[in-house]
Amino acid sequence: MMKQAYEKVSPNPPKTIGEKKGESVSCKFQQGRSEEILEKSENSLTREVESFEIREVLRCILHTIVFHRALGLIRPKDIDLELFEITYVQCGEIEVEKKIDEKIEQFINWIEKHPNKKSQICLSFYEVKSKQPSWFTKIERLYWEQWYINLNVLQPTKPPVGKSHHSKLVMDPGEASEERSSRRTLLEQSLQEVLFQIIKFVNEKKDHVPPINDGVIYYPFEITIPSSSDSAFGMDMFKRILHSGHPSMLG
Amino acid sequence: MDFPENLPSDIGRLEQIVSHFFPKALHIVLNSRIPSLQSRGRTRERLSGLNVRKSDKWFNLVMGDRPAALEKLHSWHRNILDSMIIDIILVHPISNDNLDDDDDHSDSVVRSAETVIERWVVQYENPLIMSPQSSDSATRYQKVYKKSIILLRSLYAQTRLLPAYRVSRQLSSSLASSGYDLIYKVSSFSDIFSGPVTETMKEFRFAPVEVPPGRLCASVTYRSDLSDFNLGAHITLPPRIITDYVGSPATDPMRFFPSPGRSVEGHSFTGRAGRPPLTGSSAERPHSWTSGFHRPPAQFATPNQSFSPAQSHQLSPGLHDFHWSRTDAFGDNHQLSPPFSPSGSPSTPRYISGGNSPRINVRPGTAPVTIPSSATLNRYVSSNFSEPGRNPLPPFSPKSTRRSPSSQDSLPGIALYRSSRSGESPSGLMNQYPTQKVMLLTSYVSCSMQEKYHYIFKYDSGRFSGVLSSSDSPRFAFSRSPSRLSSQDDLDDPDCSCPFDFDDVDESGLQYSHSLDRRKTSSSISQSLPLGRRSSQDAAVGVLVHMLKTAPPLRQDSSTYMASMSGVQREGSVSGTESEFSMARSTSDALEELRNYKQLKDLLLSKSKSGSGPTRVH
Repeated sequence: MMKQAYEKVSPNPPKTIGEKKGESVSCKFQQGRSEEILEKSENSLTREVESFEIREVLRCILHTIVFHRALGLIRPKDIDLELFEITYVQCGEIEVEKKIDEKIEQFINWIEKHPNKKSQICLSFYEVKSKQPSWFTKIERLYWEQWYINLNVLQPTKPPVGKSHHSKLVMDPGEASEERSSRRTLLEQSLQEVLFQIIKFVNEKKDHVPPINDGVIYYPFEITIPSSSDSAFGMDMFKRILHSGHPSMLG
Repeated sequence: MDFPENLPSDIGRLEQIVSHFFPKALHIVLNSRIPSLQSRGRTRERLSGLNVRKSDKWFNLVMGDRPAALEKLHSWHRNILDSMIIDIILVHPISNDNLDDDDDHSDSVVRSAETVIERWVVQYENPLIMSPQSSDSATRYQKVYKKSIILLRSLYAQTRLLPAYRVSRQLSSSLASSGYDLIYKVSSFSDIFSGPVTETMKEFRFAPVEVPPGRLCASVTYRSDLSDFNLGAHITLPPRIITDYVGSPATDPMRFFPSPGRSVEGHSFTGRAGRPPLTGSSAERPHSWTSGFHRPPAQFATPNQSFSPAQSHQLSPGLHDFHWSRTDAFGDNHQLSPPFSPSGSPSTPRYISGGNSPRINVRPGTAPVTIPSSATLNRYVSSNFSEPGRNPLPPFSPKSTRRSPSSQDSLPGIALYRSSRSGESPSGLMNQYPTQKVMLLTSYVSCSMQEKYHYIFKYDSGRFSGVLSSSDSPRFAFSRSPSRLSSQDDLDDPDCSCPFDFDDVDESGLQYSHSLDRRKTSSSISQSLPLGRRSSQDAAVGVLVHMLKTAPPLRQDSSTYMASMSGVQREGSVSGTESEFSMARSTSDALEELRNYKQLKDLLLSKSKSGSGPTRVH
């Protein structure tokens, strides 16, 4: 089904326009469907990210993406990260903030249950299209943009002492302060670079973005986190792609 | 789509988009860079309202009212084909090293320089040849508008990510003038950056938006590293209140406990919770007192030796000076159960021998209690004072008190009572402790309270109904030593003048608990002297006390005990005659004392039988 979808859009197989690897961000473009894959730094394999860092990082990335896809009348809200010297922008909608926070919490719970596993968060924007069959109405979601955020969260080797969500430091007694600060600096640089990439990607392809409806602040979106079993994650995505139908070329 | 203004021609609307794009971009850049133009705080408040100005609705990005300077700039930039170049300039002081040698330069004059740290370029590129438009005009401007919205979103987010944003925040929040400032310059053209400057600057180009016939372009050239200007060292930020600093009561509740107040004059045993004692001795640590309860008093540094770390340990942290003299003298090998239960108010500790005797609480009433000086000190009543380590009980003071006949056959019990010099009758306490067991109670006197505690040793379930109440002066007590009781000769000594007179004990060398009125009781002693002739239990008790008191061995032991006690007493303790006894006693000593008292009981019974009449002993 994925092939069919792509064939509809383009008879050629998905063409990688640009690819950049080896750096903090790895991006892939696929024609017909704007699919950006953001990866954390490859050094993240050796980097330990605490749960409170994940929350900040994910919140920053997800809100930045949604901010560029909330094209209704908004009042931007500047948010300063606590752990890094980075300020990102939220669209200011409470529903968006709530939805993102809930998903992040679910993801963190999943991370705690599945430590040392690669995980992926998918942020998908879709259009609701209702078919009109004769006897029932089926609501169909048409995904026109998907963002994949690959994370590799490693649990600290030593149990942290006094691990607290209120702390801003990694409570790992075995980690030297210098290592912690350098790791934090690298993470900050990676995060900033990811944000630059997001800004770049959201501007490079804008034709597929649906038109702005009156009264709609932001495009409907959903955040998919890994489910309880790893195998189900891919299946969920495949099912969603099957149900999503064909992406429409807008504009 | 919410298009602010509807113009008849599509070109007109597209041109309007471009014309409004410039001031919006300028507003975004300057609002995030120039502290004087920042309306961050005001914007959120104003934006909370429903009425948003129409000019602010452009591109669906509510920024708040534009400053007047921006309005002027907007009116200045009328030709959309002109580029708009916004230079963000950092005004910074120059170090003297960079200055040319100038003799006229005075140290007070601070020279500053201006350095462009950012350059934003917004321009509408109009191609010479217009490309044919495939889409109809109806939706074209909607798409253009949508894309320009996205572009401005990116511009807005980018302004927050660049280093100049942090500088702007620091300058806007700094308290004092630091010599740094951010200014801007808007022009249609700008000087080209020099080579070295270009090397330190990075460029970010936004994807252009096709706005027929041309396209909107935006880019920024910025300095990625602003550390050369030493901004952090010169900008003072407003103070922050740290509530969870190390050592605060919120993080360290143990530090909240008050330091001991009137410690018994420096004694470390003043009920400090969680704090090491002054002397540092392990015996003085509250937690080690379960084993250190019996430590020899020599460890205590203060003259007031009657301290029980156990009691201080068990008291609430607010208690400070709780002194107990007796428990210290109870030998080294005794594992004493805490004689007192933790209570909020200081209570006199009491030691109960035998282990299963009920305890008697004596409340001094006030928190700090000190061992009285020699002038006011009363003797303690304890058993087995003949030897400090083995006989903690004080010698029995044969002061007579009226006793009920029921107790005639029993050893005079020593009940704990509380008396004051005001003459308060402690009789209310007397009948409270019927017991079948031997209880050894020690007492101490609170000098500050002017109260005296008298421990009356009660033996074998005697009920003190009238031991003390019969006395005119409630302030009496006696102490006895089981070792002395075993001596039959002691009972025959008629020289005892007062049964429960601690003063007599002192004089005679006996160790007694404190007495108050020797003379008053002496008469009663004489009355109760003939043991066999009195029918009342009180008389028998009085006689017994007298005998014990006047027994020669008792005196010798007591004198020996006095010597030993003086040896073990704290420095500066009550000199000579009246001294407190602070000895720990072991369970074995208590049992021995019990045996002695049983012997004494048998002796009394035998004598009573041979006497006038049998008296019932309960």
